[in-house]
Amino acid sequence: MEVPWGRHAVRRAQRDKDLVIREYISMKARILVVDDDEALAEMIGIVLRNDGFEPVFCADGGQALEVFRSSKPDLVLLDLMLPGSDGIEVCRQIRGESDVPIVMLTAKSDTSDVVRGLESGADDYVPKPFKPAELVARVRARLRPGDQKAPETLRIADVTIDVAGHLVTRGGERISLTPLEFDLLVALARKPWQVFTRELLLEQVWGYRHAADTRLVNVHVQRLRSKIERDPEAPEVVLTVRGVGYKAGS
Amino acid sequence: MVSDIKQVPESPVGKTGEGLAPQAPDPAGVQQVAPAQSVSPEHPDASPEQPDASPEQPAREARDLSWLLSRARIWTRRGLILVLRVSRLVAIGVRQIRPGLRFVWRSLLRRWRRSLEFRTVLTTLLLAVTSFAIVGAYLSNQIANNLFQERLAQAESESRFNVKQVQDTFDGAQVTDQSSVITLVYDTLTAVEGRGSVIQRRYVFEAAPEQTKPRNRWVESRASDQLTVRVIPPELRKAVQSGGKQQFWASTQFPVGNEDRPGIAVGNMVTFNGTAYELYLIYDLNTAQQTLDEIQNVLWAGGAALVLMIGAIAWYVTRNVVSPVSHAAVVSEKLAAGQLQERMVVKGEDEVARLGASFNHMAASLQEQITQLATLSQMQQRFVSDVSHELRTPLTTVRMAAEVLFDARDDFDPMNKRSAELLYHQVERFQSLLSDLLEISRFDAGAAVLDAEPQDIFQVISHVMEGAAPVAAEYGSEVRLNARQKSIIVEMDSRRIDRILRNLLLNALEHGEGKPVHISVAANHEAVAVSVRDHGIGMTQAEAARVFDRFWRADPARARTTGGSGLGLSIAAEDTKLHNGWLQAWGRKGAGSNFRLTLPLRQGGTIVKSPLQLEPADIGFPGAASEGQMLVLGQDSGDTPQPTPSAGVKPAPDDGGTGEEP
Repeated sequence: MEVPWGRHAVRRAQRDKDLVIREYISMKARILVVDDDEALAEMIGIVLRNDGFEPVFCADGGQALEVFRSSKPDLVLLDLMLPGSDGIEVCRQIRGESDVPIVMLTAKSDTSDVVRGLESGADDYVPKPFKPAELVARVRARLRPGDQKAPETLRIADVTIDVAGHLVTRGGERISLTPLEFDLLVALARKPWQVFTRELLLEQVWGYRHAADTRLVNVHVQRLRSKIERDPEAPEVVLTVRGVGYKAGS
Repeated sequence: MVSDIKQVPESPVGKTGEGLAPQAPDPAGVQQVAPAQSVSPEHPDASPEQPDASPEQPAREARDLSWLLSRARIWTRRGLILVLRVSRLVAIGVRQIRPGLRFVWRSLLRRWRRSLEFRTVLTTLLLAVTSFAIVGAYLSNQIANNLFQERLAQAESESRFNVKQVQDTFDGAQVTDQSSVITLVYDTLTAVEGRGSVIQRRYVFEAAPEQTKPRNRWVESRASDQLTVRVIPPELRKAVQSGGKQQFWASTQFPVGNEDRPGIAVGNMVTFNGTAYELYLIYDLNTAQQTLDEIQNVLWAGGAALVLMIGAIAWYVTRNVVSPVSHAAVVSEKLAAGQLQERMVVKGEDEVARLGASFNHMAASLQEQITQLATLSQMQQRFVSDVSHELRTPLTTVRMAAEVLFDARDDFDPMNKRSAELLYHQVERFQSLLSDLLEISRFDAGAAVLDAEPQDIFQVISHVMEGAAPVAAEYGSEVRLNARQKSIIVEMDSRRIDRILRNLLLNALEHGEGKPVHISVAANHEAVAVSVRDHGIGMTQAEAARVFDRFWRADPARARTTGGSGLGLSIAAEDTKLHNGWLQAWGRKGAGSNFRLTLPLRQGGTIVKSPLQLEPADIGFPGAASEGQMLVLGQDSGDTPQPTPSAGVKPAPDDGGTGEEP
């Protein structure tokens, strides 16, 4: 069994990095809060402002897309249960025109709802009731800029990844990935010899430090596969290691 | 049975008269040698018991017996040969087709067991055959008897007439020379045979033995074509010889052409020229036999047809009665399989229709109840979901607000500060209670789904241990992992297993009184077991039986130190049930407690035996450090001290375990 002392080191590094990020975010990242509950929205606004973000609000799912277009947020906090238009639908619309990180707020922790939300394009989710710190941590994790932009080219199977250019190609053809999917792929591609457990991926890609839902990983791996694999049923790029996790294909 | 009966007409009539001879053999034999009634005026009611007949009886029986014995010997030999041949053929055949036969026999047996229709028809057929055989045998016997009696009466009266004529002719004869005597006798006897092409009766004419032979006795014996005196049963001859003027009869058989025919021999004494002659007239029973054969044939054919018809009727009737029943069986199977809209077809107003109607009624009320339950469950599910959403949104706001206040508490005056703290902690507690309640009602509503996938259980365990490390440090307990394997892949919902194990571990720490807590892991080929053992206050057997009850607390007065909702173990039990696993508790006052979780390695698998003992073999797992892999968490994670069993505590002799073990 693995003694997880290594993780403490990882955390320390993460903490240091968070300080850097805080400085970066002090440029006042704009966050769109789509929630029909005014009290909650206001409270979220207080917490976000408290942590140096600039919140924008939208209480109606039907108008969410317009507000999104006009406000150009750096991140969207989206309630899944919305009047007018379903949160899942809004998520799909936003994802249709932007790669901006989407974090769902969900009162339903039923597997099917969470998975449906993630499949519609959300990068992460925060189950209600959440702590302010938890929310802020999730937001920060999603706003974290990509790792050092050193010019670096990685390959898995027949897929080429240009890390600095944030570009994934296969046979000269560009594959469009969301930042999260890109991070996931890069994390796997950097250590093709290593088998990543779901928890390790959660830590490295999502920035979770504690208990989290491994379904996040499953759903995103499925989504990533559907974009980069020739046949998602027989994956060559992201391989499943039964009972352990995932690794990059050779 | 049929072949037995069939043999009767073929058997010679002389053989104790079984074929055409009347009634039981014994009285028949007696009657046969009994004097004919009308010829013996002194015995008008001649009966077997009369002294006249009795001397003849033993002789006749002896003759019958020897004759029977020889016949029996021949038939036995033939039968034996036949049986041997048939059995050899059967043996060869059986060897060739034994598997087929066995299959047929098994399928017949199965049908007999499973099909009421088959059983009824077969039973009816067997009973019909038996009863028809009995009735047929009786009828055939009766008809044979009547035919014989009729022919006998005719023969007797004809004989009387003919003998009288012969005697008259002889008495009135005035011939003295040899040739005319012979001619006279021959002519007279030929006349007895009757006119026409058909011989009405045959005769045997024989001088009685044991008499002084007169000089002018030129005729010793004379008989019809092919006949000799040997066709006459000796008993009859004796009776006739000693019977004087009486007339006797007996069954016999005589040759005609190439065949032996059954017949009745009627014997009388006539005198001619002072010589006593026995005159036997023999009547052919062939036509009667043929009639009987025909009647029997008709009887058997009719019987067979009747039996077949009875079988068909039984089949039809049973089918009529059974088919609704089997229909009901099919329908109820479908109902049981969940096709609640299935109903029986009801026709008419008879018992079967009533059965159908009440069955349908039952099905309808069942469907109604189940639908109602399903609706209720759905409603509850939706309610839980709605409540979950409706409650969680404001709770989130409250909680965030409380936290903001809590974070800023240092800026408040002492009273407001304390209020902020109380608010914060109670909101926390309220939230955990609410989420537990919602979780349990999700189980109750049947909304909980297993999201299982293969995963290493050690990943989950280390995650749980890591999460509990601060709590362990707080209580001052060490947590040790004790396992032989390094990796056990289990098909499970890791979120739920994580929750179960975290619950068990926190529980153990809470009640462990700062003593070490051991987590043991073991697997066999079908299941994996994780046990969490503490050495704290422990619990009684009765308490161990109740730990999974909702809101149950070992000591109600005990401070709710960790703020548990009282639902933790109930949820753990439900989570386990979802995995088809076992969750069991063992406890002893003062010796700590042990909770064992057993999970099948693959979903759908069954657990026969848990790889770990529920009742700890001894307290403290000696040797654990050497044989197993060990991970120690807690305040003192650097070294791994040998576990120190509490003094004076012995392993519990009784199994205090409870849980869901079937």
